[in-house]
Amino acid sequence: MKARERLRSTLGLSIGLFVALAAYVIINGRKGEGLPPFNLDNIGTALFTGLAIGALYALYATGIVVVYTTTGIFNFSQAAIGAFSAFLYWQLRVDWHWAALPAMALVIGVVAPLIGVGLDRLIMRKLEGSPVVIQLLVTVGVMYFILTATGQIWQQDRPRKLQAFYGTRSIDVGPVNLTYHRAIVLLVAVAVALALRLLFRSRLGVSMRAVVDNRSLAALTGARPDIVSSVAWAIGAMLGATAGILIAPELELDPSNLNAVLVVAFAAAAFGQLRSLPYALLGALLIGLARQFMSSFLKLGGEWTFAKNSVAPVILLLVVIALPQSRLEVGRVARNLKQHERTTKLWEAALGGAVLILVFFALSGGWLHFGIWNPGAWNEIALNRANVAMAMAFIGMSLVPLTGWAGQLNFAPMAFAGWGAFLHIKFALDPASATVSVWWLVVIGLLSAPLGAAVALAAGRLRGLYLALASIAFTEIMALLFFPHPKSGLRDAIVFKPFAIFGVALDTRRSMLILLVSIFVVFMIVLTALRQSRYGRRWVAINNSEAASATVGISVTMTKVVVYAVSATMAGIGGALFATASGSVDAVRTFTLDMSIPIVLLMAIGGMAYPIAAIFTTFQVLFLALGERLEQAGAPGWLLGVITFMRFFGPGLGAIGMVANQRGAAFETGRQNARFLPWRHDAKAEHRAERAKAREPEIGELGLLRPFTPGDLVGLERHLGIADQVAAGRNGGLPEGARHGVVGG
Amino acid sequence: MALLEVDRVSVRFGGLLAVQGASLSVAAGTITGLIGPNGAGKTTLFNVITGLQPPTNGDIIFDGRPITRVGVHKRARLGIARTFQKLEAFNSLSARDNVLVAAEMAGRKRRAGRSVAQIADEALEQVGLGELADITVGTMPTATARLVELARALATGPKILLLDEAPSGLNDEETGAISVLLARLVRESGVSVLLVEHDMSFVMGLCSQLFVLDLGQVIAAGTPAEVQADRRVQTAYLGTSLPEAAA
Repeated sequence: MKARERLRSTLGLSIGLFVALAAYVIINGRKGEGLPPFNLDNIGTALFTGLAIGALYALYATGIVVVYTTTGIFNFSQAAIGAFSAFLYWQLRVDWHWAALPAMALVIGVVAPLIGVGLDRLIMRKLEGSPVVIQLLVTVGVMYFILTATGQIWQQDRPRKLQAFYGTRSIDVGPVNLTYHRAIVLLVAVAVALALRLLFRSRLGVSMRAVVDNRSLAALTGARPDIVSSVAWAIGAMLGATAGILIAPELELDPSNLNAVLVVAFAAAAFGQLRSLPYALLGALLIGLARQFMSSFLKLGGEWTFAKNSVAPVILLLVVIALPQSRLEVGRVARNLKQHERTTKLWEAALGGAVLILVFFALSGGWLHFGIWNPGAWNEIALNRANVAMAMAFIGMSLVPLTGWAGQLNFAPMAFAGWGAFLHIKFALDPASATVSVWWLVVIGLLSAPLGAAVALAAGRLRGLYLALASIAFTEIMALLFFPHPKSGLRDAIVFKPFAIFGVALDTRRSMLILLVSIFVVFMIVLTALRQSRYGRRWVAINNSEAASATVGISVTMTKVVVYAVSATMAGIGGALFATASGSVDAVRTFTLDMSIPIVLLMAIGGMAYPIAAIFTTFQVLFLALGERLEQAGAPGWLLGVITFMRFFGPGLGAIGMVANQRGAAFETGRQNARFLPWRHDAKAEHRAERAKAREPEIGELGLLRPFTPGDLVGLERHLGIADQVAAGRNGGLPEGARHGVVGG
Repeated sequence: MALLEVDRVSVRFGGLLAVQGASLSVAAGTITGLIGPNGAGKTTLFNVITGLQPPTNGDIIFDGRPITRVGVHKRARLGIARTFQKLEAFNSLSARDNVLVAAEMAGRKRRAGRSVAQIADEALEQVGLGELADITVGTMPTATARLVELARALATGPKILLLDEAPSGLNDEETGAISVLLARLVRESGVSVLLVEHDMSFVMGLCSQLFVLDLGQVIAAGTPAEVQADRRVQTAYLGTSLPEAAA
């Protein structure tokens, strides 16, 4: 009942949105010059074109919904699978001159399902019961990995183009002119919709819905969860592949370009609360129509011509915020935390920070010799890279309080950073002066906090997946609507001036590097102090249980406002530093979702809850520089190959690796090695205790997902300490019934 | 005058009426029990009182003031504290930090000149966890973590304490200690207690007033002795034998 009511309200909202948009287009469209007249022919053509584009979005969205309703995992790699498939299809069809049908059959019918089943078996199945944050980060890691692989296999060494089916030939349906390609797209979408409807009514469909509710329970009633989830992933991947091949001729053949449709697919899926196929389809069609009508009949004012691109993220944000949210829920506390948590002491952070500054100082000056190899002082290029990387690391550290401690998944660090860069241009850059006082960073930080607070107020009720989607929409809106605007100043080729502290200009790259590392260290210590304060405790408390936090008197909303403001302050300062370190910024390519995602992934790998782990964000730059240095030093080719591989695939693989290690590498390494620190007696004791614990299987580890095998029974008998009696029983020493009694018959 | 009054509260989940016009009251400075078979709606009623679950109908009156529309955290600041049937401790925090979070939210008035750290340590001592203050709660056995929840509720300096099966998982000795603690709290600090419990000996010995909930309705109220003698209560717990049902 309730679900249906909610869907109805979604429907009302969507129709309202669409009518408002249509009215706006009709009123304003007539004013525009150089636009096609508003007659039946043009409206009809726009209608069918919009529907065809919407049908493409629908293919992506339904793939996401099918996987989500069946396995509970929200698949960020949906569009990446589509991008990979489009390139593979290009390889077969264009490069190797296959015919269209066998090429499609191979990609959609064989490769895509293999990818889907492989993802399910190797990765996704192990995520069952993991926190939503981990599930999301792993699928984002898969997305990043597939996109990187696609970009590496088909490098940008030559232009590639997929032709539309039947070229530019078109048919006339009444007054409407429609290309064959788009007609095919419409037919495919209708066929897919019908096929899915039939599927979900079949026995398999019923099993699919049972499995998502409770895998073990469904298994007991005879459904086969393993097969069901593999089928769902295979269908999802096939839909992604179909969509990728069909959409590629409409776009350029470029991995991140083909992946950008993901936000549209999210918006469409959100229409159906991520669970309803018909509403996702409807959402996709509405977005397609909205885009097409805007581009056909609407001429936005000169400064806003680019605004059409932001339709999808705006819709995504509105839908996610408008959706009815669950209230504070009890019974969601993760019990999988079995490790002792120890907060970093202030002096440890200070010591670590001092070491960090010294290391950077010594390394950049070329003071350190590694015996056989003396890397020498860093040149301008290396220093420049290090500057940019440290600014990124600082932006990454802004996620520690917000995501690591308060548990608010945030894909928007670069959006906040862009805001900081904007403030830097508006206020700090003084044409009359050759430098910028370092104290402007304080002002920029303070002015960034309100943006974070505003986001918290808008998205404060959201949790988990919906919060992640809202942060993605926010990043895209900032990147597509705000930063490209001429008045933002971010598009002008502005030369950023060096900082000055107490009147001393930090105009060498090395002095800038030391400034960056010092600011990094200062905030590391500030965060460590905050974590031990009442604020830090409250952040962790709302992460563990919002319901319990509220019942001890914590205002969850206010707590979120504060932590978002802190994070935005840091990211804003980071943005100003990033712009200065880069010398100039390309707003359209810098402060985007594409740049945010590797930061989030690398932070997750490093250990989101540890400020020092932000140094992981320099990962790619580090490997780039290391590769170059080793090449100069004449290192063997295989080593350089490994380094290059790590540079490109490290973030994706590392995030996927969180399947096995959810706390992040920095945490695990630190935990395993803490016992070597002389003052960590607690770690030594813990290590001894762990070693002492016998490695006996727990009953729970035997699992309920399959019938007991003879091996399990033996394990169970050994666990209960009755192996000997049972063995005697097997040999006829005990009556048959005794053994049955033991294992529950 | 009653400290807490639940006035004809109903909660509907879709087609299911989990609580139907339930009314009860807790007098200041007393221990009141809420009993009933599984699924009777006890925890739902607790959620309504603390604000986690808005009622479909009815009102909650606390300290003479209707609080039905007051947010969860504001009710906590008015003096309503609770524990949960399914553990809701802050698992990544130490026991002391769990309690500190709560103590920090208690207003100056309720701290009565004591420091936040003092309140936290006192609360931990009261439940007997003084020694384990630095242990991360996520690594504790469930029964111990329940005590942390109890200490956390105490540290808010409540006027009324809502305990949802507090002694579950504890042994007889520990359960006895909780009884003593609750009795002393009521006597010395004038705190009122409303507790949901299955352990009848615990309830009968401790409570001065009982309410029995069955299928979302209050079917009996009174002293433990009165409730024990009530025919409907026996029916709800034990079922009916056929001839009696016919009669």
